Amino acid sequence: MTAPTTTEPDTAEAPAADGDGGPTTARRFGTLAVVAAVVVGLLLGYAGGLLTPKLTRPGDASAEAGFARDMTTHHAQAVEMGLIAFQQGTDAEVVSIGGDIATGQQGEIGTMQTWLRSWGLDPTGSQPRMAWMPDGTASMKNGLMPGMATPEQMAKLRDTPQGREKDVLFLELMIQHHLGGVHMIDGILDASDDPEVVRVAQTMKNTQQTDLTNLTAARDRLAKG
Amino acid sequence: MSISTPGGPERRPTVVTTGKKPAAGRPAAGAKAGAGKSTGDAPRTSAGGKGKGPRKPIAPVKVSQGRSWGPIALFTAVGVLAVGIIGFGAWATFQGSKPWEDRAADISGIVNFRKTDPDLVKGSNHQPGSIKYAQSPPVAGPHNATWQNCMGNVYDAPIANEHAVHSLEHGAVWITYRPDLPADEVAKLKSKVEGQEKLMLSPFEGQDKPISLQAWGYQLKVDNADDSRIDEFIKTLRVNASIEGPTANCGEPGITATGTTPRDGAPMPTQ
Repeated sequence: MTAPTTTEPDTAEAPAADGDGGPTTARRFGTLAVVAAVVVGLLLGYAGGLLTPKLTRPGDASAEAGFARDMTTHHAQAVEMGLIAFQQGTDAEVVSIGGDIATGQQGEIGTMQTWLRSWGLDPTGSQPRMAWMPDGTASMKNGLMPGMATPEQMAKLRDTPQGREKDVLFLELMIQHHLGGVHMIDGILDASDDPEVVRVAQTMKNTQQTDLTNLTAARDRLAKG
Repeated sequence: MSISTPGGPERRPTVVTTGKKPAAGRPAAGAKAGAGKSTGDAPRTSAGGKGKGPRKPIAPVKVSQGRSWGPIALFTAVGVLAVGIIGFGAWATFQGSKPWEDRAADISGIVNFRKTDPDLVKGSNHQPGSIKYAQSPPVAGPHNATWQNCMGNVYDAPIANEHAVHSLEHGAVWITYRPDLPADEVAKLKSKVEGQEKLMLSPFEGQDKPISLQAWGYQLKVDNADDSRIDEFIKTLRVNASIEGPTANCGEPGITATGTTPRDGAPMPTQ
């Protein structure tokens, strides 16, 4: 710190003594500094590049992760209902639509679980169910998300003997299930701008809305007959 | 940092100026210093040519003072801050992306049978009828072809091990409790399970602790339903512990019937 003042008197002689040493040392020192700066800069850039994808991808409390987890659970029940219809349905359309929903939604579960894995997240969240949607937690009933059948309704669907009553019960439950599902899909379409999530969610919505038309028509047909 | 260390400045003032330049990281500065300063100093007369001869010595003084610690401190602070931020980010990311196996190992009291009995957890053969398990409640091994439904099912009566182990293979966490567990404790467990696929709850006769959690190859026994390790176990091992991946089925065509007698291997009902 005090160096500058003490060296003052020497300034006049210095150039004479180190006439050519000064600039050379300066150049060498400068080059070293530049190399150091470049290396540090590259390291920081590399670290930043490594971190950026991890910092920008959906986190544990994100709407995307909440949707992937909750829609997996929601879908899992539709798969269960669909397999009951596929296995025990009587009406040909009930059997085929049950199989269609079970296989389609199971495939979507795989997609959503793959997202979570690629985001480095667990299939199980630390947030309450539906916390990613505005008023989401308020829409929960006994741990069930919108449209989901209660354990009693599932038991009834399973235990009702094969026939029209069972078919109609399946259609009624699946209509409710899809209405709740579309509500949740709208939630993620509002909340997310992740292109892949939005694309898959939109596909889900298209499918479930088409299903709803067919499920409702089948219900009306069977209820009348 | 290193800029302040050399004894150079005391020995040779011109270096003081150049010592400052590298801080700015400009190689051109060295050349400039050589061209501008040394010529400016050596022939004092030329400096005097500017008409400020007597005051010339003051110029180096200014240069010396120009080794201002402000910018150095600033750059150092910014550098330390940048390294700190990035370092913390890297550390946090590393911690956050710890594999679930490592996080499972961090749960105190957990037993990892993948280490102690690797053969048990790799085998998943279907086998009809009753099966003897070394652990109670069982955590892995051969099992009946039919699984117990694990769609957040809450069973009020004991279920068959031979079906439950199949559910564990599919990624379920099976929570069991001693039948004498108080009703309010059971209700707490029930609220964790209901509506959550890949979870199921049932009483279990003769278990040595009030509550036990099973995932494929893992077990944790706790004394009460408020133990925070219950949620930790579920978060870490539900689905993750499955050896069949996240799409293994927990619903139809599994069974929802209770009773500890396995159903596979029973004679086919006659039509």
